[in-house]
Amino acid sequence: MKYLLLLLLLAGCSTTVPVVQKFPNATPELMKSCENLKKVEGDKVAITEMLKVIVYNYSLYYECSTKVDGWQDWYNEQKKIFESVK
Amino acid sequence: MWILSILPDAAIHIIFGLGILGTIAGFVLGFIPLVKTYKLAIQVISLLVLVFGVYLEGGLADYKTWELRVKEMEAKIAHSETKSSEKNIEIQEKIVEKTKVIREKGRDIIQYVDKEIVKKEEVIKYIENCPVPKDVIDTLNKAAEKGDKK
Repeated sequence: MKYLLLLLLLAGCSTTVPVVQKFPNATPELMKSCENLKKVEGDKVAITEMLKVIVYNYSLYYECSTKVDGWQDWYNEQKKIFESVK
Repeated sequence: MWILSILPDAAIHIIFGLGILGTIAGFVLGFIPLVKTYKLAIQVISLLVLVFGVYLEGGLADYKTWELRVKEMEAKIAHSETKSSEKNIEIQEKIVEKTKVIREKGRDIIQYVDKEIVKKEEVIKYIENCPVPKDVIDTLNKAAEKGDKK
């Protein structure tokens, strides 16, 4: 009788139903680190060689800036999706 | 309510039904000799069973409502996960395409330097007469280094 009463009293205790939203995966291309800038090698360097290194480094900058833009895009899109689940 | 996960729905309906039947028996069918003998006991027990039955029925109705909401939420999450991976593919393609264009542009300019710029008389004269000073190269290389704290 004592246990039955206890059972009745505890009958209302709630149980939680977990609905978990997974953290979204990042785009693989965004996970790649930016390359280090290239250096001019040698002591006697022609100006054209230096120019080529500078041009190459400009390309690296724009590649990296594309990744930053990509991260911003990814964040904004994922935020919109996350907020739509309510 | 954890008890709802143990008891099947039918058991809850049976408890509620027994409560109703017992209450009717205790209060209405008192003229039957057998019921008359245990009238008070039947009334008390059946009222308790009825109260518990009503409580469980209410809990069950609430549980069903929540169960529906959970399913709805799960469907929404599944949809958002699909949408999320679609967006990832979209972003991936955009980045790959942009990177390709940037690399091609850089390569084209370097090829242009190798093929056209180095052949120009003005440039040839400049290269012969003015090598780039070592200090300029060192400064440029220093600027290309990462500014990590040591």
